Amino acid sequence: MTDDKDVLRDVWFGRIPTCFTLYQDEITEREAEPYYLLLPRVSYLTLVTDKVKKHFQKVMRQEDISEIWFEYEGTPLKWHYPIGLLFDLLASSSALPWNITVHFKSFPEKDLLHCPSKDAIEAHFMSCVKEADALKHKSQVINEMQKKDHKQLWMGLQNDRFDQFWAINRKLMEYPAEENGFRYIPFRIYQTTTERPFIQKLFRPVAADGQPHTLGDLLKEVCPSAIAPEDGERRNQVMIHGIEPMLETPLQWLSEHLSYPDNFLHISIIPKQTE
Amino acid sequence: MEEDEFFGEKTFQHHCSEFIKHSQQIGDGWEWRSSKEVLEVPLDDAEATETAAASEVIKYEYHVLYSSSYQVPVLYFRASFLDGRPLALKDIWEGVHECYQTRLQQGPWDTITQQEHPILGQPFFVLHPCKTNEFMAPVLKNSQKINRNINYITSWLSIVGPVVGLNLPLSYAIATSQDESNAL
Repeated sequence: MTDDKDVLRDVWFGRIPTCFTLYQDEITEREAEPYYLLLPRVSYLTLVTDKVKKHFQKVMRQEDISEIWFEYEGTPLKWHYPIGLLFDLLASSSALPWNITVHFKSFPEKDLLHCPSKDAIEAHFMSCVKEADALKHKSQVINEMQKKDHKQLWMGLQNDRFDQFWAINRKLMEYPAEENGFRYIPFRIYQTTTERPFIQKLFRPVAADGQPHTLGDLLKEVCPSAIAPEDGERRNQVMIHGIEPMLETPLQWLSEHLSYPDNFLHISIIPKQTE
Repeated sequence: MEEDEFFGEKTFQHHCSEFIKHSQQIGDGWEWRSSKEVLEVPLDDAEATETAAASEVIKYEYHVLYSSSYQVPVLYFRASFLDGRPLALKDIWEGVHECYQTRLQQGPWDTITQQEHPILGQPFFVLHPCKTNEFMAPVLKNSQKINRNINYITSWLSIVGPVVGLNLPLSYAIATSQDESNAL
């Protein structure tokens, strides 16, 4: 019988087999071989691709190299979104490996945030963790932690250390005994068909009458098109970490077990695959 | 709607609409925009042209958004040369007055960072919102104490705006206190 804690491990250790290919217009001194890597679903592109960068820079001249950026089928990939989210949203209907193109010039200023250093990734990650706790606990838990605890969250993620990370993160998953869950659930819903990058709203895990809210309740309220039409063949899939949770799943449970390390539920709505 | 919200979304909308009324009177360019698809997180923006070097004109774009997570307004902005070239973070920093630079560098949460605009999906610069309640609380408390009407947006923007080159005309504050005396 699967323990709930096993879910935490399965989420943390999820990987996506990826093939990195250098953009054909980049100037190289020798032919650039593609580079294969298993990407952690819960991490960020610029945090885990040092080897990719080194591999391609070996065949390029220093003067032809500026900030690295990644693209999938013409879409620049936002490094500040978790890898698993990018894959589910953009590439889950295609065959593996995930084919990503690597660029070293013409940084798309209008589409991508710059990532000048690992510190920028840490700042972004911690900013998300802070915002999630503002929603869950009015920032009380995160503000009570010492700087070294914040650092431990980041180091756990950076070094792929599940136990190190969860030693601290478990405190962010607690709630007062007299409550039935968090104050609000940190979530973001993504769809490629809309202009707006994501939907994020205030939503409680438990209804006024005490009934736990489900994933279906959340979607009905903030993104009804995701589960339309209610009677008949659904048009879309609702995906988190590469799986489709049942709509009856309690939202509080999802938040505690299927959140990303930034403590947000990142949910993809993608068109249903036709066989 | 939440009763226990310190500065809920409806309150934000109300203060923004008062702010916009005055903006329309003096013609300084603030607009109210609703998101096309879903009625939430409205934004306004204003454009101000400033001269940096002798021949370079820089266009600044400011957006005020509401953060439901922190229940405060947040200032998003970007700057570009007239040919469309965006300014980088270091260029923005150079534009920040010395007296603000020290303060900003002290805390990672008080600083200017590049973030994705939650509605447009494009890179903008943002002043981190999590300390907003800290500096706004005394302003609100004092206004209650001396029974003076204030517009949250005007007060907030007059504090954070100058840090990033946005200076509100004094007439905004005068307009608010005039509303109060009209109401009496």
